[in-house]
Amino acid sequence: MERERKIKVLIAKPGLDGHDRGAKVLSFGLRDQGMEVIYTGRRQSVQQIVNSALQEDVDVVGLSILSGAHLTFFPKVVNLLRENDAGDMLVIGGGIIPDEHIPILKEKGVTEIFGPGTLIKDIGDFIRKNVRKIA
Amino acid sequence: MDNKDKLSEIKEKRKEWEEKVLMPSAKRFGIEKRPTEFYTPSDIPNFDFERDVGFPGQYPFTAAPYPVNLVPRIERGAKPGGLRRAGLYSGYGTPEDTRDYYKLMAELSWTGGPNLALDLPTQCGYDSDTEMIEGEVGKVGVAIDTLRDFEVIFEAFTGDQDLDKIATNITINAAANILVAMYIALAEKRGIPMAKLRCTPQNDILKEFVSRGTYIFPPRPSMRMFRDSVVFFTENLPGINITSIGGYHIREGGATREQELAFSMAIGIAYLQEGVNAGVDIDAFAPKFTFNGFGGSMQLFKEVAFQRASRRMWAKILKERFGAKKKDSMRIRCPIGAHMGYSNATKQRALNNLTRSVVGAIASVLSGGQPMAFPPYDEPLGLGWSLEARQLAEDATRIIMYETGMCDVIDPLAGSYYVESLTNEIEDAAWKGIEKIEGMGGAVTAIENGYMQRECAKSAAERQARIEKREDLIVGVNCFTEEYELDVTTSKIVEHPYDEEKRYNAEKQQKANLAEVKRTRNNREVTRLLKELESAAKKEDMNLMPLFINLAREYATLQEQCDVLRSVFGEWQLDSFV
Repeated sequence: MERERKIKVLIAKPGLDGHDRGAKVLSFGLRDQGMEVIYTGRRQSVQQIVNSALQEDVDVVGLSILSGAHLTFFPKVVNLLRENDAGDMLVIGGGIIPDEHIPILKEKGVTEIFGPGTLIKDIGDFIRKNVRKIA
Repeated sequence: MDNKDKLSEIKEKRKEWEEKVLMPSAKRFGIEKRPTEFYTPSDIPNFDFERDVGFPGQYPFTAAPYPVNLVPRIERGAKPGGLRRAGLYSGYGTPEDTRDYYKLMAELSWTGGPNLALDLPTQCGYDSDTEMIEGEVGKVGVAIDTLRDFEVIFEAFTGDQDLDKIATNITINAAANILVAMYIALAEKRGIPMAKLRCTPQNDILKEFVSRGTYIFPPRPSMRMFRDSVVFFTENLPGINITSIGGYHIREGGATREQELAFSMAIGIAYLQEGVNAGVDIDAFAPKFTFNGFGGSMQLFKEVAFQRASRRMWAKILKERFGAKKKDSMRIRCPIGAHMGYSNATKQRALNNLTRSVVGAIASVLSGGQPMAFPPYDEPLGLGWSLEARQLAEDATRIIMYETGMCDVIDPLAGSYYVESLTNEIEDAAWKGIEKIEGMGGAVTAIENGYMQRECAKSAAERQARIEKREDLIVGVNCFTEEYELDVTTSKIVEHPYDEEKRYNAEKQQKANLAEVKRTRNNREVTRLLKELESAAKKEDMNLMPLFINLAREYATLQEQCDVLRSVFGEWQLDSFV
């Protein structure tokens, strides 16, 4: 089925980590691919991220952390989305995530993790393939 | 024939050579565009050795900041570096964990002071017991809440490694003065006067707004804190470096080489001006400015030119703009030379990063600095560096130092038509950048209005676009990725000295430590001093350093102090600028 509106993506930086080059580059890149992208800026709490996601009714939440706090933050975002009946939003993550943490995060509901060197066209393809269908 | 005629003749001949020799030859290989460059004396028509290069350690310091390039001499008992050098950026978990790590390293013959990495709550002015920072305590560095935590860490530094004998680095920006005050209070308890301390807080707050992001207050009150540093440190702490400016973070945040140079120099100018405005003599405090490093890339010759240009620019800024008289004011003190740039390290086929780091280290030697092959190749794989990767990085550095003879000559590319022309080009572009920033009102304004942040984001996006289009190539990332390429890995044989379990438990433990401090300190005195801080903060001309020292003595927490300042200064609006 054809989507009636652009895919809407929220790119968010949970926690105190300020390394947002990747988040910004991804925001620009996905926008260039025709998606509507909202970047939250730095230092977002889980609640703030989920509020923005719900308010904007996004299809995708992309979380970026380079500080090692991903095991705490990513699952919290997934859980709070689910509690708010938004479990169908696609949650993906990026940053410096050790390989051994990827299965843990996937098990907790993060659909995919994209590490350094990932091409944005691959992330775009992944989103288009896995995003929720809209009636 | 005079020089000018000679140069135009060379220029003519070069043009002729390109048309009649180069292009026909290129066309035979099916190449339409000029495939390679060739530089001649006509590319540096006004070159003047004494004005543009000068001798090592002399104005304008293009050749090198010092007359000698201090490569440690084996025959003079060069200390084993790398794994056993305390200068490495380190710290994790609770203060106890970090103290034990330093003790362990001391057993491995480490000497010298620590280069403290702090966790993000500390860098952003939050205590370990604050709910919003759950999950971040003791990660990327050690948690510091009160003087108690410094007392614990520095139990690893006593006797011949006591505070008056070591130099301590602290990577702290927004709350630099508060942590320096804790360090002073710690020394005082050991009977060491602050005048004897050697310490380098990073204290480069402006670049935090551009990249890295550990700001607390808006730029202007942040600059007031910086003014307090210049004034108080110059008067009372002759052994402290006031700031350690980083262009590195700006480049890693996305800036081009020219943007980085323009932004970091503009930021340096803003700091210098702050001191001058406060009435401090430029030659009394400029020598206490250091640079922790500039950015790097794989483009070896351009990085060589960049390093040379940065030294020349800083020297000119100090001499011509600020009227500095002392050589020490004009010379960039920067322990790190050219390098590959951390963000150029790849997760894909990570061992290749060792090769990349060697290219960066060679660029450093060729630009008049010391070779340092870094980062360790496994940096993109996770947040802890393996000792194996550090060993390889250290050995790569040693091979360049001791086997190649490269360190025998300083600035070997001086006079090269290409490198001199590149140096001019980069410097000119950076001056233009500074001019633009000054047109806006200076670095602080160019940060408040988001100019520097937007420029970095734009450049980062452009770089990514070139990578996606394969205009910029990265081996193993966007080329040579076919399945018959081998992913070579190393097997881990030495455990990382950071204890995973301790790191995991750090948050709980540090909360308990903090609760204990709050229970046993004189809370009434803390409250009184915090009120005093509030009224002092409201008076623009008050220097807050003496109050921070009083507060440190009474075990006031970092956040208690920052919260008072937040209420007076406000917090930086976290605009995303995308």
